[in-house]
Amino acid sequence: MLQPVELKDFFITFFASGIIIVSGALYALFYAFYHLKKIAVLNYLAYVSYFVLFISVLIITQTMHLDKIWTIVVIAMLVGYFLAPRGIWHLCVATHKEKGYEQK
Amino acid sequence: MTINQFNTQNLNVGQKLAIKYFSVAVVLFAAQILFGLIAGLQYLQPDLFYGVLDFNVNRTVHINAMIIWMLYGFIGASYWLLEDETGISIVGIKWGHFSFWLLTVAVIIVVLVYLFIQWGPGTDATIWFINEGREYIEAPRLADIGIVICMLIFFYNVAATVSKGKVTGITGVLTLDLVALAGLYLAGMFYTTNISLDQFWWWWVIHLWVEATWEVLVGCIMAWGLITTLGASRKIVTTWLYIEVALMFGAGILGLGHHYFWIGTPEYWFTVGGLFSALEPIPLVAMVVHAVYDSGKHGFKSNNHPAMAWLIAHAFGNFFGAGVWGFMHTLPQINLYTHGTQWTASHGHLAFFGAYATIIIAMFYFAVQKWRGGVTIRGDLVDSGWKWKWSLALLNIGVMGMTIALLISGYEQSQIERAIGGSTWLGYFQAQIHPWFVEGLVWRQIMGYITALGFILLVWDLLTIGKKEPLELESKVA
Ligand code: HEM
Ligand code: HEM
Ligand SMILES: [Fe+2]
Repeated sequence: MLQPVELKDFFITFFASGIIIVSGALYALFYAFYHLKKIAVLNYLAYVSYFVLFISVLIITQTMHLDKIWTIVVIAMLVGYFLAPRGIWHLCVATHKEKGYEQK
Repeated sequence: MTINQFNTQNLNVGQKLAIKYFSVAVVLFAAQILFGLIAGLQYLQPDLFYGVLDFNVNRTVHINAMIIWMLYGFIGASYWLLEDETGISIVGIKWGHFSFWLLTVAVIIVVLVYLFIQWGPGTDATIWFINEGREYIEAPRLADIGIVICMLIFFYNVAATVSKGKVTGITGVLTLDLVALAGLYLAGMFYTTNISLDQFWWWWVIHLWVEATWEVLVGCIMAWGLITTLGASRKIVTTWLYIEVALMFGAGILGLGHHYFWIGTPEYWFTVGGLFSALEPIPLVAMVVHAVYDSGKHGFKSNNHPAMAWLIAHAFGNFFGAGVWGFMHTLPQINLYTHGTQWTASHGHLAFFGAYATIIIAMFYFAVQKWRGGVTIRGDLVDSGWKWKWSLALLNIGVMGMTIALLISGYEQSQIERAIGGSTWLGYFQAQIHPWFVEGLVWRQIMGYITALGFILLVWDLLTIGKKEPLELESKVA
């Protein structure tokens, strides 16, 4: 059902887990700033952040033995953290366009 | 209207009630810190107050005071924004005042019972009068019933006002959220002799409060705060609120499973709890996009800098405390080792402080501002605002410091006690005397004093800020 982390992998597991969430937020941050300011390097940084997230997810996949049914967690995280910020951005833009926006 | 002085004529009917709730909240916050410090000292000096004020009592007061002061803060915040949002005076406000006094008397009695009557055998009677025995919500059943009555009155005030006045996205979400919040409390009130069953329902209150209903409640406060202080568009903010509710509930409800790993519940909870709680930080991450969008479109202009600063602290605190610290120990493959160690306490401190204490402190600052007639409070106050800046810094450094110290102790426990010692008694004691553990707890105490210092400054500041400030010309004073 589940195979616990080995002692030697404790530190890397905690570290990579923390990095996943932090780089997820950085990705969201750069993504949003890029679309606001249109500075190309921000877009690049967004994808670098996501890449860091991707690698970190792979690391915990190894150390936490996320195989078999646990693959769902890996996929859900990779997809969820990638799509959610984009979705929110589109919603912000869509609501902005609508009439009555400046109603306060 | 009186400027610069605390005068309730500056407030609307709901806000007058709100400041009562806020005042008691500050007192209970003080109690939380005091008893936290005593409990922390007892880790270092186990015989301190032994038999007079035992650790279990101090711990109980510490965390129950926290839950109650935060509930007071939330109730106060709801009364505070209700009239602005609905455009009408609160329906049945007399009952609101009555329930404030009822609740406060109940709280005083419960605290006295915690302090003085916590020994002897547990019987049916003690469940009713002494202690119900569920961490965080230990109030005896009689007090529970009083709490439920007060919540019903509060809910009646909110629901009746909202249905009679203007229904906005914020008040709509708030009303529905309060139904869930109050309903969940009932899950922690009945008695069963089966410890697995007991824990199963108890987590409904604790987890579904802090990771679903409370998050949505502070989402409402944040939405209101963004609209009133930054002039953010109501449309964007409310749309965001709906999405946040969907994401929070979507991941948070079944994320409950991360508490069902080791209490005797079926094995499928491993995967369910792991999967959904791994997704719980998503709304916290996505919130970043929304913040960038709003600040980009409107800029950060505010006439209440301390409140703004605390709202920003809330965004970061929620992200790190709940998101990062939560995710680091949420998969069962690692939670096996961290479960119930100081790791948990590390996360608990940062999450509760970062997500909830911060935003209620922001509300306190909104409240004193209007209470003094709508003065401007910025970074360039007459005294340069050193009190609010220092208290902001000390409180955040203090709690962050405690969090890191506890993390080190917990990390050591997960290795020595769990992984190497195999969760045996021997492993437990070996971990308890290891230098990393002991020094971690010393540092927790030092950082606790810094937190306490920050709190004292905070209270001083709340009582004095805006006393000498001019009214800003364009700021609207209602
Ligand atoms: C603001 C939101 C949150 C608050 C206030 C909070 C607070 C707490 C507290 C106080 C505990 C200790 C409970 C006890 O006494 O046993 C706890 C446990 C836990 N929390 Fe959170 N939490 C929050 C969000 C999260 C999130 C988003 C996650 C996961 C991503 C998470 C994961 C966990 C886990 C796995 C435990 C169990 C620790 C153990 O096994 O001992 N929490 N939380
Ligand atoms: C001011 C200094 C503080 C000190 C010295 C302190 C100390 C303590 C101690 C000794 C415990 C018991 C831990 C155990 O049973 O092993 C505890 C638990 C707890 N404290 Fe504090 N505390 C402080 C401030 C705070 C603040 C500001 C918050 C949140 C707003 C907070 C939230 C909690 C929570 C949620 C728990 C339960 C944790 C768990 O069960 O894992 N404390 N604290
Ligand atoms: Fe939880």
